[in-house]
Amino acid sequence: MKVSLVVNGAAREVDLDHSEAQIAQAEPGVYSILVDGRSYEARIEQGDGCMVVFIDGHRFEIEVRDPRRWSRKTGQQGAEGRVSVAAPMPGKIVRLLASAGDTVTVGQGLLVVEAMKMQNEIKAPKAGRVVSLPARDGATVAAGEVLATIE
Amino acid sequence: MFRKVLIANRGEIAVRVVRTLREMEIATVAVFSDADRTSLHVRMADEAEWVGPSPSTESYLRIDRILDAARKHRADAIHPGYGFLSENPDFAAACEDAGIVFIGPSAESIRRMGSKTAARHMALAAGVPVVPGAQDALGSVEEARAFGARHGYPLLLKAVAGGGGKGMRRVDADSELESAFRDAASEAERAFRNPDLYVEKLIERPRHIEIQILGDRHGNMIHFGERECSIQRRHQKVMEECPSPLVAVRPGMREAMGEAAIRVARSAGYYNAGTVEFLVDAAGDFHFLEMNTRLQVEHPITELVTGHDLVRLQVEVAAGEKLRLRQEDIAWRGSAIECRIYAEDPYNNFFPSPGRITRLTRPLGPGVRIDGCVYDGWTVPIDYDPLLAKLAVWSGTRASAIARTLRALREYDVAGIRTNITFFRQILEDEQFRQGSLHTRFVDEFLDRRKPFAPPPELESIAALVAAFHDNGRAAPTETGPARRSRWLEIGRDGMLR
Repeated sequence: MKVSLVVNGAAREVDLDHSEAQIAQAEPGVYSILVDGRSYEARIEQGDGCMVVFIDGHRFEIEVRDPRRWSRKTGQQGAEGRVSVAAPMPGKIVRLLASAGDTVTVGQGLLVVEAMKMQNEIKAPKAGRVVSLPARDGATVAAGEVLATIE
Repeated sequence: MFRKVLIANRGEIAVRVVRTLREMEIATVAVFSDADRTSLHVRMADEAEWVGPSPSTESYLRIDRILDAARKHRADAIHPGYGFLSENPDFAAACEDAGIVFIGPSAESIRRMGSKTAARHMALAAGVPVVPGAQDALGSVEEARAFGARHGYPLLLKAVAGGGGKGMRRVDADSELESAFRDAASEAERAFRNPDLYVEKLIERPRHIEIQILGDRHGNMIHFGERECSIQRRHQKVMEECPSPLVAVRPGMREAMGEAAIRVARSAGYYNAGTVEFLVDAAGDFHFLEMNTRLQVEHPITELVTGHDLVRLQVEVAAGEKLRLRQEDIAWRGSAIECRIYAEDPYNNFFPSPGRITRLTRPLGPGVRIDGCVYDGWTVPIDYDPLLAKLAVWSGTRASAIARTLRALREYDVAGIRTNITFFRQILEDEQFRQGSLHTRFVDEFLDRRKPFAPPPELESIAALVAAFHDNGRAAPTETGPARRSRWLEIGRDGMLR
C-alpha cells in the first residue's frame, strides 16, 4: 500500500508493503524500527493538523495525504489574505502594542504575553492592517487562541 | 539536630532538600500554592501545608503564611532553597524572631551582600580585586563621563540594586553615555524601585567562575573549589561545569580564588553555604562580581566532584555543629557537567512551553544524576520558573564527561511539552566548547554560527515510514505486509491468554 506524505514541507511517497523495515509498537506512540540490522526508536505526537515524529531528538512534521479521506486540515493561508496570529503558549497578556485598525510592518510587535516569568513579544507575521485584536490587557490566553488578525 | 524542617520552596530544589533531610532522618514539611497541590515536593514530604493561590506573591513569597505553616507544623528550622525568600533579609530576621532557625546566613550578611556597591566595598577592604569602577552610586551622568575619560570605553552602567541584567547598559563611546544613563536608570527604577546606577569598566568576553564556600557559626570556613558558569542565555546560566577548564590548567588559581572568596565572606561575618562570583578576563585575572547568599542551582556538580552533600552540611552548621571538614580534606576528582532542562521550545525562539507531560523517559546508567520535579502526567504550571530538572553527569575527565552527557541526553525524552534537550547536544558537539574556550557571550555567538540541527538523511525516510504505519494502523488495520506481522503476533498472544 502506497501512502503520500508531506515531510517537513516536502512531498514523499512510502510503500508499506515493500519496505524492508520491521516496525513494532513498544509503548503507546513509541515505535521500534529495525532496518538492515540497525535499531531506531520513534515517538509520534499529534501536532497542529499534522503528526510530529521525533527520532533521536530530530523533529519531523508529517501530514498524510489520503485521497480516501477528507480529514485534511484546511490549508493555512499564506502571506496572502487574512492571517491570524495564535498564542504560541498559554500565558497572560501583559501589554498591547497595537490596536485594531493599525497598519503594521512585518516583525512589528503586536502584544506581549507573559508565561513562566518571561515576557514574549508576539510579532506580526506579515505587513498589513490589524483587522481585529480581541486580546485584552491582563487576560489569560490558551495556546492556539487567536490573538490578532492581519489583512 | 533538628527534628523537623520546613522547606519554603517548590520544584526541583524542594525535592532535592527533602531527599537529604530524609537521609538524615529529619521530618519534612512542604508548602504549596494552588498550582502545586500534586507537585512532587508535596507528594514526597512527610507533611504539607497550603500557603496561598498560584501567584508566588500570594504564596511562596508570603513571609507571614510560611511562618504560620512552620509554627502549625512545629518545624525547628526552615530551608529556603534558592529564589523566592532565600535572599530576603527580612525573612531570615522573621525566622529568627519566631524562634525558628533559618538554614542560611544571618539577616545582616544577606543585607550587606544584597547591595552591589556595599559588597564591592567589602571585597576591596578584604584585599580582593574587583572590576575597576566607581565605589558608590553615580550622582550624575557627568561622573560617569569623568570615569570614561579616565578609564576609557567600553564601560558598563549597572543598577545598584540590580540583578538579572536589568538596568544594565554597555556604553561604547562618550556620545552614547547620556541616553544609556537615562534608559538604565528608568529601567532600574521600574525593576527595583531604585534608579541608582554605578559604573564599571567593561570586561570583554569574560568567563564567569564562582567559588562555593561554607562556614560554621564557630568561625571555621572552607571552600569547595570553582564552577564555570560561562554558558548563559539572556544573563541566565544554562550549563555549568566543575572544574573550570581554565582553572584546571592554571596552577594555583583555584587556591587563590578560594582564599579570596573566603576573605570576602569573612568580612561580611558569613556562615552557612554561599557562592562568590568572579569575572575572569582574557589574561586570566579574576575580579569579584557579587556574592550569592544561598545554595546555588548548580550545586550538584560540586557535590559530584568533591563527594560532599552541601545540603547536609548546610543543615549541620545551621544546627550549630562545628565543621568537621578542613580545607585539606577537600579534593577534586574527575569532571562534572550540569544541563538545566527547561520547558521551552528551541525550535521556536525558546518560547516557554508549559503543559502536560504525556511521557517521560529519564537517562540512567553510570555517572548520571537528575534533580527534578517532573513526572509522567504532571502539568507544568505557567506560574513559575520553567526549570524542569537538572541533569548532572560525572566522569573521570572533561572529554569523557562530555561524551557521557551526550549519551544521557540521547536517552532523555520528554513528550507533551517542548524542552531544550537538543540544544545542549548541539553545544556539547561544538568544537569551541570542546576546547574549553568559554566566555559569557558564548551562547550568543554559538547561535549565530551553529549549523542547523540536521538529521542524518536516513532518519527522514524512517520518520515517513513510521508516520504512514501509524496512520494506516489507525485508519485501516489490515494484514498486508511484513511490517505489521508483529502486531498480529501480539494479538495472537493475547488470544491465548484469554
